[in-house]
Amino acid sequence: MSTTKLFLRGVADMRRFPLPQLCTLLTVCMVALLAGTGLLILHNVQSEVLRTQGQARFQIYWKVGADLTAVEAQWTDLKRAPGIAEVSTFTPRAALSELMRGLAPKNSGGGLAASNGANGTSGASVGEDFAWLEGENPLPATALVSFNIPPDEQPEPWMGRMYARLKGLEGVEQVTYNPTQLTLATGWIALVQKAAWPALGFFALVVGLVVGNTLKLMMLARRDEVEILSLVGARPWFIRAPLFANGVVQGLCGSVLSLFCLKFLQTWLRSVLDVPPLFLKVEFLPLWQSVALVLCTTCVAGLASLIAARK
Amino acid sequence: MVHLEHVNCILGGAQALKDVTLHVERGEFVFLTGPSGAGKTTLLRVLYGDLKPKSGAADVAGVDLMRLRGAQLPELRRKVAVVFQDFKVLPERTVFENIAIALEVRGVSSVSIDKRVRAVIRALDLEERSYARCGELSGGEQQRVAIARSMVVNPELILADEPTGNLDSDLSRHLIELFKQFNTYGTTIIMATHNREVLSWAPEARQVHLVRGVITEAPPSAAGWVLDTKPIIGGRA
Ligand SMILES: Nc1ncnc2c1ncn2[C@@H]1O[C@H](COP(=O)(O)OP(=O)(O)O)[C@@H](O)[C@H]1O
Ligand SMILES: [Mg+2]
Repeated sequence: MSTTKLFLRGVADMRRFPLPQLCTLLTVCMVALLAGTGLLILHNVQSEVLRTQGQARFQIYWKVGADLTAVEAQWTDLKRAPGIAEVSTFTPRAALSELMRGLAPKNSGGGLAASNGANGTSGASVGEDFAWLEGENPLPATALVSFNIPPDEQPEPWMGRMYARLKGLEGVEQVTYNPTQLTLATGWIALVQKAAWPALGFFALVVGLVVGNTLKLMMLARRDEVEILSLVGARPWFIRAPLFANGVVQGLCGSVLSLFCLKFLQTWLRSVLDVPPLFLKVEFLPLWQSVALVLCTTCVAGLASLIAARK
Repeated sequence: MVHLEHVNCILGGAQALKDVTLHVERGEFVFLTGPSGAGKTTLLRVLYGDLKPKSGAADVAGVDLMRLRGAQLPELRRKVAVVFQDFKVLPERTVFENIAIALEVRGVSSVSIDKRVRAVIRALDLEERSYARCGELSGGEQQRVAIARSMVVNPELILADEPTGNLDSDLSRHLIELFKQFNTYGTTIIMATHNREVLSWAPEARQVHLVRGVITEAPPSAAGWVLDTKPIIGGRA
């Protein structure tokens, strides 16, 4: 009987033990999902660090009620400043409408009415009209500024000097930045990269044990068949090939299933994290990492089934 | 076909076979008799390579059992077919599949498998049950499936371990006739049994008597058939 036929028989035989097969599939999927989530975090941290590498970010808050024309003039100057990478500005009005937009879909009824009541204005719906806040908008003008740190400068002292300069601008109330953010992120990514190999090895081990164990159980359930095959003179490969095919299919289906779950997870994370003030766009794994995840899981599962099927 | 010289076998701390010497020539029909626990099953297990003797010399169908290595076991089992008291058929598979399995492992083409399995099914009168699951068959039918599986490959040697043990007298007689018929085509047969009646149905067969792991009666095959069904206790002829 040809190897292809033996493989097909192994796949067809999976029907005969649906429950252990399903359990293995789910477990392989879970473990692969875990590994995929790890990869997803690593990938996103890495691309975030790469994107902001060599950049310094400052959040500038003007005093509440500062003269908007003067502030806007400062913004124009800022946008022309040397080494500037990106400037996002929010007038109090824009900030308020952004805030309302963030609130609106969540509580279209009771929640807003309550907040109205707290502000002492009854009857008016903020969603429809928040002109009542125009005159006394509690939000300041703000700007989010990113600079490219000059390559010949040490990041930390340079950021300190820039902080002092921005703080000294006319009408500025407060400037925030996190001087250690950069070093923290770089340190973290180094740590994750160091931990990645042991973690992947552990992942492979778990997949191997899970798949190998199921196939051992299947062999136990089929030991009469194995005994008879051996009695009538089957070569080891004749007995092992169907089990190998079984393991490969388990690994393949489990890991592909886990990719779908991961995509779901990523879409959800993105919807949760891509909001002000985080604006974190969680990306999916690059193609090669997805393919590698599937290939590795499949190989490990196949290998484990060969080992499990050994007499 | 079978050449055992001073074979010793230990099972669970006890000596199951003691200094067994046995020669069976091609085409012989041999009954292995003796009380329960005498070592009949053990001797057969040695012959199909399931149990390695502790010492002695053993050769079956040209395969040296003392030096049986990985690839040689399938070779041995392709020459030696085994039939058991408890049939050892797969209850979930059909009669046809159970018989075909022996040809499949040998890489026989599916056209040829179809032809040969059908022929054996016809010979063993199983035609109406061809596609029934074996679990639904009676004991006699299951044993016929097991015999069909052993015969379909045209083995050089058939080992049968109390094949009639679970069957009634009529069925047993029918099966012994089948074995005898197959023997006339040239297949060597060694059958373990402790049933006197079975022995009487094949009086021309040679009898080898085992007691507590020792062969107490084994005329050299050249000496011809032993007609007396009563074993001679205490020493070799
Ligand atoms: N797997 C085993 N482990 C330990 N002892 C065994 C085993 N199989 C058989 N024996 C012992 O070996 C002796 C021979 O057994 P067996 O060959 O089955 O006898 P028979 O088939 O003639 O009834 C018996 O004493 C039995 O208890
Ligand atoms: Mg026995």
